[in-house]
Amino acid sequence: MADNTRKTQLGAMAKPVIWGAIVIVLAVTFATVPFVTGNLSFMFYMMLWMTMATAFNFVAGLAGYMPFGYVAFYGVGAYATGILYKSAGLPIIVALIGAGAAGIVVALIMAPTLRLRGVYFGIVSLAMALAAKLIISLLPPNITGGSMGLILSSANNPMAAYYTMFIVLMLALATGTWLFFSRTGTALRAIRDDQEAAEVVGVNVVRTRLKAWVAAAVFPAFAGGIEAWYTNAIDLESSFNLLVTAKSIVYAMAGGLGYLVGPIVGSGLLYGVDHLIWQQFPTLNLLLLGIVIVVLILAMPRGIVGAFAQRFSRLRKYIP
Amino acid sequence: MNELLLQGLVNGIILGMIYALIGLGLNVVFGVLRVVNFAHGEFIILGAYAAYFLQRLLGLSPFLAMPLIFAGFGVLGYLMYFVLIRRLAKSDDPEHASLLVMFGVSIALGALMLLFFEADSRSLAYSFDPPFLMFGSVIIPTTKLVALGVVLAITAVLAFFLYRTLPGKALRAIIMNRDAVQIVGVDLEQLSAMTLGLGLGLAGVTGVLVAMIFPAFSPFIGQDYTLIGFIVIVLGGLGHPVGAIVGGIIFGLTEQTAQVYMNGSIASLMGFLLLIGVILVRPTGIFGREAMK
Repeated sequence: MADNTRKTQLGAMAKPVIWGAIVIVLAVTFATVPFVTGNLSFMFYMMLWMTMATAFNFVAGLAGYMPFGYVAFYGVGAYATGILYKSAGLPIIVALIGAGAAGIVVALIMAPTLRLRGVYFGIVSLAMALAAKLIISLLPPNITGGSMGLILSSANNPMAAYYTMFIVLMLALATGTWLFFSRTGTALRAIRDDQEAAEVVGVNVVRTRLKAWVAAAVFPAFAGGIEAWYTNAIDLESSFNLLVTAKSIVYAMAGGLGYLVGPIVGSGLLYGVDHLIWQQFPTLNLLLLGIVIVVLILAMPRGIVGAFAQRFSRLRKYIP
Repeated sequence: MNELLLQGLVNGIILGMIYALIGLGLNVVFGVLRVVNFAHGEFIILGAYAAYFLQRLLGLSPFLAMPLIFAGFGVLGYLMYFVLIRRLAKSDDPEHASLLVMFGVSIALGALMLLFFEADSRSLAYSFDPPFLMFGSVIIPTTKLVALGVVLAITAVLAFFLYRTLPGKALRAIIMNRDAVQIVGVDLEQLSAMTLGLGLGLAGVTGVLVAMIFPAFSPFIGQDYTLIGFIVIVLGGLGHPVGAIVGGIIFGLTEQTAQVYMNGSIASLMGFLLLIGVILVRPTGIFGREAMK
């Protein structure tokens, strides 16, 4: 009996321990990259997509929503950074914090749509993203740079942007750890599986979902801002490109929604392949992205980690 | 000012009917298959290209092209059901899975069109004589009027099909109650495949009309039409054929009357705000699920 309890305790501890080890490996790798390799850009975008996919997992994997307008947070973050830095003359770090705040504001504005379920939510969220893009296009051009966009070259500092992205990735992983291992995570899963039942048990559905929603909004907003800083350029078409949503979904799903390691595995593999092989052929790259989405959903709807967990069900308790 | 408003209302009804046709194609497919066809707009653009090349290469007028395109796209949809959609039934969450699969199809199809047709905008060389008709102070381009006629004809045929013929009644029965229909012995597989064919056929024909009415099309703009279709059907109520028509006209009227008083971007924004407003008041759209039973 006592032995059994110890075993279950060990089992319960295994996930956080394995997850902690993975985070440490990621942290050491990304922290040392600038000293080892000259390919800063590749690793910068790897961190960016890991952040995007991880945050997407908060709503899609834990809360069960499919925000097709996910790019709204990213685009608003980019523009908030640009406007605060360029038009308001604030330091870049302050501008980035403003981007995070803007992400939260957009999340709160969109919060009423959380009442919607299933595909209604996805479609309305997409409409919201396009509305956000339209609103920015309607702002005075001396603030947003109009159709030319904003150039941030005076802030140019790729190394600083790289380490800021590093910090944001770590914060995203920490938030993920909290969301998955805390009571909030349990409550979220309960709501996702059966909202009425969760309500009956006394879960505050609105507040719990809002936590995941805001957490899923802050990180893409940061990512959009830092990417703008890294490339020194912001424009409507690239900041609100639907492919940002597409890649976040694909990377998170390829790894496995609902698992902490899912988006890490997915972004690591697919972004790597994307970058190494397909980057030379932009149109082909798009075509392949579309085909990968289709094949993935049909062949491996639970992602790599999900399929692994299903195949080796005895190992499931070790997979964070 | 009143004349401008009148012009806006007329434009709103004409474009609204085209939007309704976009919504109808989406809604029939969603109602029967529970598939959210995110690639609907890309198929519309593909229809526009088909009309363009049929005219360029064979000299076919768009009106002759329409039935051909309907048939061709119908076969495409029928086959697509067996390749892509049938497998989704086993998924944990078929609705979301269908949305994602069709999202992938939309990206791939857009890229394919870009690869084959290149990024330049094309337009259909087709004109009527006279090009404009005057009704009092309201000017209507003949193409728009003809397109309206075509949409009304298609809607009438579709209504007849859905409400008066046996396969049409079976389709509506599936929308209302899937399980009961299977007990009665309807071949769900065949009917589902045919429905996807009908949906894509409608998309193709819509594409021909779009190519006639709007000056130019290019591989990128499919998503704009998908979005219009979504707004229309979410407004009207997912899965409800009449809802698509009501939603289309409401959206068209809002957009076009807003265009009279404000600039184009604000007018499109009004469309989104309308959608968001309606959904927050009535999450299932104007003709929600309940209204169907």
